[in-house]
Amino acid sequence: MDTLEKAVDFGEKLGADFVEARFEDLTLRSLQKINENWKDITAKTRSGIGVVCYYKGGSGYSFTASKSDKDIQEAVERAFKIAKASVPAVSIKLGFDNQPPVKSTGSDTFTVKEHPKHHSIDEKTELVNRAMDTAKEHGENISTITGLYGELYGTKLFTNSDRSIIDWEFRVVDLVCYVVSKTKEGNMVNNLERSGGTAGFELFSKEGSTPEDIGRKAGKGAKAQLVARACPAGQFRALVDNVLAGTLAHESFGHLSEADFIVTSSSPLTGKIGTKLGSEHATIADNGVPDIEKHGGIWLPFDDQGTRSGETTMLDKGTVTHYLHSRGTAKYLKQKPTGNCRAVHFGFMPIPRMTNTYFKPGDLTEEEALELLGTGVYAIESQGGQVQGDGSFLFKARSGYWVENGEKKYPLREVSLSGNILDLLGRVEGATKDFKIRGGYFGGCGKSGQYPLPTGLGGPKLVIDSVTFGGKA
Amino acid sequence: MEYDSVKEEMLSRIDTALKYAKSVDKNAECEIYLLYINSCNVRIQDGVVTADDGIKAGTAVRVAKGKKVSFAPSSGIELDSIKKSIQEATAIVQKLSVEDPRFDSFCPPSGAGKEGVFCSDILDVDSAYLIKAADNMISEAKSVDKRIKSVTASCSAGWTGFAVGNSTGLQQASRIAVNSCNVYCQARVGEERRQAGEYDISRERIFQHENLPTEAANKALSFLGAKKLDKTEVMPTIWNNEASASYILAGLGQAVRGNNVVEGLSPLADKIGDEIANPILSIVDDGQDATSIQTHAIDAEGHAKQKIPILEKGVLKNYLFDHYYAKIFGAESTGSSSRGGAFSSTLPYEDTATVGLSTFNVKSGNKSEEELLEEVDQGIYIYDSPMGIYHTSVETGEFSVVCPQVYLIERGEKTPIQPVSVAGKFYEGLENLRAIAKNIKKTPYAVNTPTIAFDGFSVVG
Repeated sequence: MDTLEKAVDFGEKLGADFVEARFEDLTLRSLQKINENWKDITAKTRSGIGVVCYYKGGSGYSFTASKSDKDIQEAVERAFKIAKASVPAVSIKLGFDNQPPVKSTGSDTFTVKEHPKHHSIDEKTELVNRAMDTAKEHGENISTITGLYGELYGTKLFTNSDRSIIDWEFRVVDLVCYVVSKTKEGNMVNNLERSGGTAGFELFSKEGSTPEDIGRKAGKGAKAQLVARACPAGQFRALVDNVLAGTLAHESFGHLSEADFIVTSSSPLTGKIGTKLGSEHATIADNGVPDIEKHGGIWLPFDDQGTRSGETTMLDKGTVTHYLHSRGTAKYLKQKPTGNCRAVHFGFMPIPRMTNTYFKPGDLTEEEALELLGTGVYAIESQGGQVQGDGSFLFKARSGYWVENGEKKYPLREVSLSGNILDLLGRVEGATKDFKIRGGYFGGCGKSGQYPLPTGLGGPKLVIDSVTFGGKA
Repeated sequence: MEYDSVKEEMLSRIDTALKYAKSVDKNAECEIYLLYINSCNVRIQDGVVTADDGIKAGTAVRVAKGKKVSFAPSSGIELDSIKKSIQEATAIVQKLSVEDPRFDSFCPPSGAGKEGVFCSDILDVDSAYLIKAADNMISEAKSVDKRIKSVTASCSAGWTGFAVGNSTGLQQASRIAVNSCNVYCQARVGEERRQAGEYDISRERIFQHENLPTEAANKALSFLGAKKLDKTEVMPTIWNNEASASYILAGLGQAVRGNNVVEGLSPLADKIGDEIANPILSIVDDGQDATSIQTHAIDAEGHAKQKIPILEKGVLKNYLFDHYYAKIFGAESTGSSSRGGAFSSTLPYEDTATVGLSTFNVKSGNKSEEELLEEVDQGIYIYDSPMGIYHTSVETGEFSVVCPQVYLIERGEKTPIQPVSVAGKFYEGLENLRAIAKNIKKTPYAVNTPTIAFDGFSVVG
């Protein structure tokens, strides 16, 4: 922390209006097994310092992996030089006021019962083996099984010109099983199941998250895909599961709420605070400190600008209420800072990003949701998605069911949903009571070249009218 | 470090570190990869400037003892960091009880290819130049039309050096200097928003940003007033350079990677010698294309990079391999080991080496793009990489994407339409390819390609 404080002092001496300095020392370990072969046993160390200098409304960023005073000073000089050079080009000034210092405490680090660093590689390979063995038992015509285990933990330190002192440990674990099976015709289908987030090793003893649970669902899901029909193309009523609802919240609404898109007016949510865009069943929030024990997710008590995080509701029963901010965008847009300024690695400048993003639950059971759906597509899990600046989105579900009169009739594959989020939110007709957040080590969010940033996403199941599904005509 | 001396300095550290690795465990083999990126990146979005200037450097060490292999990357390339990684990786293999029965050895020496073109002017590009260039692009774009409401301009310049050494005696290095600019314009009328972008990326000269903003702005404006297609049917689709580059990269590009072939994920396994595409399609993966930004003297495990035919007149000729997967398959490495890239993290040294493309060069057709469009009674023209194309899985080959920038084509007449979904199978598409234009363009997707027209995809709009 002394080194960071010296960096801040030096930046101020150079003439910066405000300086932020952060250090991270992270360990990332992962194992990958493909069929019988242990392909990658990895132990990464990520350690370095990043410095932001603010000057007359502009900012500059630099970083170094070196711990030497000389290299750190050079990083501060580069950051200030860029900040100064950028001033003539800055027309949206994102400076902010000093505030009382923020001080972390021990309770800011999420307590785990079994820290993964105290478990041997053999215990971790054993988790992977158990998942894969169970997948084999429950699958059919399997051509490839992949098992992955990952863990991330380490120290994040931060100080700034407010003289905040923040010191906490970031923790994530993840277990994944991916099954590829071959149909009689020789076509390949797949399914993936996982469990992860901020948790200790004890997560994998919890009901629903054991290696056997993961392997069973992965194997059974791939087996179901063997007889799945291609999803028809067209507009249908949809029931989306918790993870896909989370993808919707993250990709198509969350990104548009990130305030760097708002201040530049490139988001269609610019100037829309107080506007009703969605139905009363559509409430979307972002939260760095969710109830991890009950719902899962990633624990992020502070962002990389030293702001405490919490729950920010961006859409409240269909009305736009708040954006996701850095300190500068919060001041510019006259809202509270939300603790959403993050970077994937010390080599990158923190920018507005999400933490755990979700739809809030409603009051339906799954049966009631299927009944409300009537006839349409039940889309399950997510293979990822993409959104454009005008709100257009595309998501790929991992699987699905064709539902008729509230009954699942047959499995579907290649389930892709597309549309415009601003239209879709008004067609959310109901949400279930069950609620979960998915987070983990593998994958993550990408933005401005910063990938993969660990994020959580989730929600209840949602019934949505008139969703466009791509597929064979 | 300096550009002129980076290779020698890194190779010297590798030499010292390999000796250290032997002292830690004389029965273990070791591979060391060092990466040094010195870059400056500027982005201006409507008056908000984000800029960084710094050095990303890292070490990636693999240690193997018999069939037990570990991987330990870390930040920095000081000798202390390298030694720490060696200690970490060695400690892991010494404790491991699981192994990779297919592991043979680290890559043996194979010499080196050519680094490619170097332009020393790129080394002199600094943050002030980049900020000015980005600012000029914003001004140019905004001056085109008052309906251009949002402009994002990015410029970057830098150089990279990397070096690889291992216990087989391989010690090689390579370096490159690259600069680039891109600009995205959003046109708005009421609630309608349409966007388009242009770019220039080069290792041969300083990027040329003039006129790109005007082209991007006019393209964005051309999509305004788009009507709904109101159809769901199978129809011809014409994919412009960037769109067809993404099609090839996401489909064929993944299916010919040796890791996907060996692991049973590629539907093109056992298809060498088969006609898998229209005979008008020929593609070469050229790791020695002197002007490509993917060209280096060596790949990520130190093997010489090469030029490899992938498709010749529709016939599948080769897969791409690194040393590991080549050995399993019973072939030779094609110099296709890579770290990082489009589907990986932003710190290449943190990724294990796997198989990647160099530059796919698609052979030009003999018609202009306009001629291709005139031959279509009714179809769609896709401008830019569709949404979701990289979320497809190589094993199924099925894709369903959304094309936000798209025109209806009727005998050469272009009418902007609202975003449409396009669905089909990558591999069937190669067989149903109807025409290739002659407007080859270098795209940022490691694929240099003309516009390509396909039959047989479903369009929903």
